[in-house]
Amino acid sequence: MPLLWTVKHRPKTLSDVAGNKEAKESFIAWINSWQKGIPPKKAALLHGPPGTGKTVTVQAAANDFKFDLVEINASDKRTEEHLRKIAGGAATQGELFGRNRLILLDEIDGINLSEDKGAISTLVETIEHARCPIALTANDPWDPKIRPLRELCFAIEFRRLGVRDSLPYLKKLCVSEGIEADEQALRLIIDRNKGDMRSIINDLQTFTTGRKKLNYADVEWLSWRDRKDTIFDALRTVFSSKSGTQARRATDMADVDLDMFFEWIYENAPLQLTDPRDLANALGALSKADLYLARMKRLQAWQLLPFAIDQMTIGVALSKERTKPAWTPMRFPSRITSLSRTRKERALRSAIGAKIGAKSHVSSMAAVKHFLPYLSFVFQNNSEMASDITGWLDLNEEMVQYLSGKSIKEKERKARKPVKVKERQLATRKAARRRRAASS
Amino acid sequence: MERAMWAEKYRPRSLSEMRNQTEIVGRLKKFVETKTMTHCLFAGPPGTGKTTAALCLARDLFGERYMDAFMELNASDARGIDVVRTTVKEFARIATISDVPFKILVLDEADNMTSDAQQALRRTMERYTESCRFILCCNYSGRVIEPIQSRCALFRFTPLKSQDVADYLNHIAKQEKVDLKADGVAALVEVAEGDLRKATNTLQAASSLGKPISEGSVYMVVGRAKPKDVRDMLDLAFKGEFLKARQMLRSLLVQYGLSGSDIVKQMHSEIFRIDAPEKDKIALADAIGEVDFRLIEGGDEEVQLSALLARLAAIAQETR
Repeated sequence: MPLLWTVKHRPKTLSDVAGNKEAKESFIAWINSWQKGIPPKKAALLHGPPGTGKTVTVQAAANDFKFDLVEINASDKRTEEHLRKIAGGAATQGELFGRNRLILLDEIDGINLSEDKGAISTLVETIEHARCPIALTANDPWDPKIRPLRELCFAIEFRRLGVRDSLPYLKKLCVSEGIEADEQALRLIIDRNKGDMRSIINDLQTFTTGRKKLNYADVEWLSWRDRKDTIFDALRTVFSSKSGTQARRATDMADVDLDMFFEWIYENAPLQLTDPRDLANALGALSKADLYLARMKRLQAWQLLPFAIDQMTIGVALSKERTKPAWTPMRFPSRITSLSRTRKERALRSAIGAKIGAKSHVSSMAAVKHFLPYLSFVFQNNSEMASDITGWLDLNEEMVQYLSGKSIKEKERKARKPVKVKERQLATRKAARRRRAASS
Repeated sequence: MERAMWAEKYRPRSLSEMRNQTEIVGRLKKFVETKTMTHCLFAGPPGTGKTTAALCLARDLFGERYMDAFMELNASDARGIDVVRTTVKEFARIATISDVPFKILVLDEADNMTSDAQQALRRTMERYTESCRFILCCNYSGRVIEPIQSRCALFRFTPLKSQDVADYLNHIAKQEKVDLKADGVAALVEVAEGDLRKATNTLQAASSLGKPISEGSVYMVVGRAKPKDVRDMLDLAFKGEFLKARQMLRSLLVQYGLSGSDIVKQMHSEIFRIDAPEKDKIALADAIGEVDFRLIEGGDEEVQLSALLARLAAIAQETR
């Protein structure tokens, strides 16, 4: 597998790190302050959204200032003992072979308090006794669990990268990879990733895998992905709002029509509300919304719309009382895919219904209900009777196949029972043979 | 060509052949004798002879060329205002040349017409009352709007008596040279519940096995024709497997082509058999009734029914 560009093109020196000039400068200043003895803040907290260059800045600085970098990140175990051994040891021993050290505690807000027992207090202790710079990174500096750390740290904020910073970087990257990229395409990638450099580079690599050219048309679907993101956000609002007004706002966020939004909520409610009582309340609200929508369309009474929206957003949001919070991905409405999948079959069935209805004085709907199951039974058991009926009703080949259970779905259904019977017959026959063999 | 489906082959051709609904048949015979009739509303469950009575009446009135003066419209296939306004008018306004001074128009499944279409129909009925009589057939007279009901003579068709069903089935069996056992007849009568069409269809399907018809062959047909999936679906919901229950509901609606109200009916008959506190059952029965009402109002079948399944799962959770 080719190397990830986010790894391959990771900046080696601070001047290569894109954007966040001020943040980089204050980090450099803080590192430099260590040359004049131990500064009042022995740790720096680099905070900001993902992909803004926090970790990369620390790594590049270590390289530039020739520090030995001791790195501990989220994927490592962070129990108290473990931290004490690595961070504590490294931090208090000062230098090794005359080289300065820099300790990086990455994604500090990812610490799991119940698993990493005492981690925070160990870190506080480590920072207090530190004899070398310690850098911490976090997405959310206001996370309550890292509050004791925040007070000990020199805080440096990293912001989302603008086009001005990321575009030149991407262009340089394209040159070094030998890719001819349309500037408009690069701009769209940057725009859709909201200043997250890591995902920008990942997207660029994905789009250019196996090719040397990148046009706007190649990345156009990103705008669709953005739509999908907005519907996911809207759904999350519906399923996690605690207040009615907040939940109701979801309909404005979703970039799809109301019927479609309803389908999304209806599809995902059972996945999001795992407590049966919550789900019952949510579906109760949805069924009311459905009724409002039906009345609205039937009577052209558009003034009913707000009441439908209330039920499908607020009604669903406030149903979440007992469900334990968990992250569950959203799913595309399966009802829509299943309807389009079975469209042909349904059309065929009502065509047969119409044929029966023409001869039997019933509507095609009633024919499907009152005759089809019996006809199907006849067609599967008696070809002579079936061919009489075929002639009388003037059925075509496809209809006959459907009635005989030869369409794919019917085949599966039919296969269930007869096979079992056959197996049983086979088993008894085998048993009889064995008995005969034993007696002779 | 020979009528290959028995329900059609053995449908009575004349009022005198109808052996049930005697009171109704008597009144209809009077229409034939006097060559006058009112607009009629035939109400009753499926398979009780509504369409047959209308067809017999027409044939008795107009003779073998009854098709000239008789028209049949299926409201659920050709519903909507446009149909009423065009087709019905076209038919109604041209007078007949027979000795009967009116035509007959049968509107089957009239309770499936939208209320707008029914309103339009009401005007048409008034306007062409000279030249045309309407027979409206429906399962529930209550679903036909009042103004139409008041213009019609109401005929209530009731489920057939067991003996009538048995006689009719034995008659067919004899004609078709099918060996119909006594327990077969009893089983057919039981599953038909007074629905003669269902009885006949089941008989024909059972005979397709090519063996004497016993209780076993009848239930084999019934088992295949009406899967016990509604029961299974309720069981799944009751076990808390809501997603699976919803999937099953979807396949009942889409694959098997059951209507929402069919499922409502079956759910209602199953609900009292499940293992839940009696108080919850009556609450559920009420919820089922509400769903039925909402379906008439135009609610989405799957959404309304799955809300009911979710309610069932919640009750199960609380009982546990």
